[in-house]
Amino acid sequence: MLEIKKKYVIPGDVIVEGNYKPLMNVIKKENSIISTRIGIAESSKDGIRVIPLSGIYIPRINDIVIGKIIDNSSLSWEVDINSCFSAHLPAQDVFGRDFSPARDDMKKRFAPGDLLTARIIAFDRTRDPMLSIQERDLGKILHGEFLKISSTRVPRLIGKRGSMIQTIEQATQTKILIGQNGILVVSGQNHEGMNLAFQAIKMVEDEAHTSNLTQKVKDLLNVQDESPQKEGDNTTVGKEGYINNNENNSETNDIETNNNTSEITISKGESS
Amino acid sequence: MNETILIDESGKRTDGRSIDELREIKLTIGVLKKANGSAFIEFGKNKIIVAVYGPREVHPKHMAQPDKCVLRCRYHMSPFSTDTRKNPAPSRREIEISKVIREALEPAVVLEDYPRAAIDIFVEVLQADGGSRCAGITAASVALADAGINMRDLVAACAAGKINNKIALDINDVEDKEGSADMPVAYLPNLEQITLLQLDGILNKSQFTECLEKALQGCKMVYEIQRKALMEKYFGNDLSLDDENTEEIKE
Repeated sequence: MLEIKKKYVIPGDVIVEGNYKPLMNVIKKENSIISTRIGIAESSKDGIRVIPLSGIYIPRINDIVIGKIIDNSSLSWEVDINSCFSAHLPAQDVFGRDFSPARDDMKKRFAPGDLLTARIIAFDRTRDPMLSIQERDLGKILHGEFLKISSTRVPRLIGKRGSMIQTIEQATQTKILIGQNGILVVSGQNHEGMNLAFQAIKMVEDEAHTSNLTQKVKDLLNVQDESPQKEGDNTTVGKEGYINNNENNSETNDIETNNNTSEITISKGESS
Repeated sequence: MNETILIDESGKRTDGRSIDELREIKLTIGVLKKANGSAFIEFGKNKIIVAVYGPREVHPKHMAQPDKCVLRCRYHMSPFSTDTRKNPAPSRREIEISKVIREALEPAVVLEDYPRAAIDIFVEVLQADGGSRCAGITAASVALADAGINMRDLVAACAAGKINNKIALDINDVEDKEGSADMPVAYLPNLEQITLLQLDGILNKSQFTECLEKALQGCKMVYEIQRKALMEKYFGNDLSLDDENTEEIKE
């Protein structure tokens, strides 16, 4: 129905003229749709949007993020989610509805500096984002190494139905937790694997818009070119009490594959 | 009155340019690692580096606006940017230019998209040669785009003026000092709106129209350079969209 397919745009570019619906990173001016970001414009039957190639993380409801506890008041924790807004995790969400500031010691559950995965359950123009860990697999992160990338690179790092991240995890024997806000936690048994995973992640971040990236990453990791889906059966082996995030979230497209050593999980909120 | 000769018989200016020629412009994007967005511009002999931070939390907190973002801008000339050492303390002129740069960029930025946040722009002049506010605006708008801030349009800026009674494009330092008028203009090329118009000197009505027309043409030329720099930085020389690439980004 729309003649335009995909197009590189910068702010101010007219993407298309006509009566289309502006979806994301576009504005409507008279009869034309104008991009507001550097990125790739595309159209669907719902309207026009631009997938940005730069920018900081802006929270969205239902995103799964990795955050760091900064402080707590008597009723909630303040969480740094790598954005211009700091998030709040209400104590009632953690202790249950009969939470009492006098009885429950908040510092015992989360102390400043702790990392956690959480879902954003509320956010709008007037209020800071609110988090929840009331789901299986959300909560405190116990081990792993912390890494920040640009949040615009997260979809690329995950790849088509998780292909990129699966490749990296299998080749390096690591587990990588991804927050939509661009924070990653990598954990693995051996040092070389971790280093290799860092290199691969850095490569994806630096060269996200180049073509044939999957192949480049495979070359870096010395992976033979065969489809990862073919090997192994698709059963999940949870080895440790590690955070994973599957079936029960309808929004997440999770991919688990197993190697005999590790379980691989991707927490990926819908990114459209 | 004995006027300095700024245009010779063959129509060449002091630096060898013709009357409607821009100085050479070089624009590099993403020069600072820690900033969210940055740009370095060489506009003739001007050398200016611009850093954009944000959107980020507002400090002091009372400055925050509940409905939109605050845009803050600092234009500063390094002590070594001029012939004689410039005192690094912000002068009256620098405070004014900070304000006009901010006001030139504000209409382009979609401030409503980032309530309770702040965007900081730092324009540092490393070497000055006339027209540094225009070069600063040009680089700042590209740095804002690099920082991934929602913008209605880029802002391109360029000056025009009157030297030896002729209207000339892109006034340099000598022409600014010896000439009789200088008019910096900032412009949103796609929306066709002017966001900055200053005039130092005297022009009659027809000269004013001619001068503005010339400055706007200069802005359009500057815009093409901005556009090219952004395209090259983000999409490389390969401007063909291959499907594998975009599909994965979509996921």
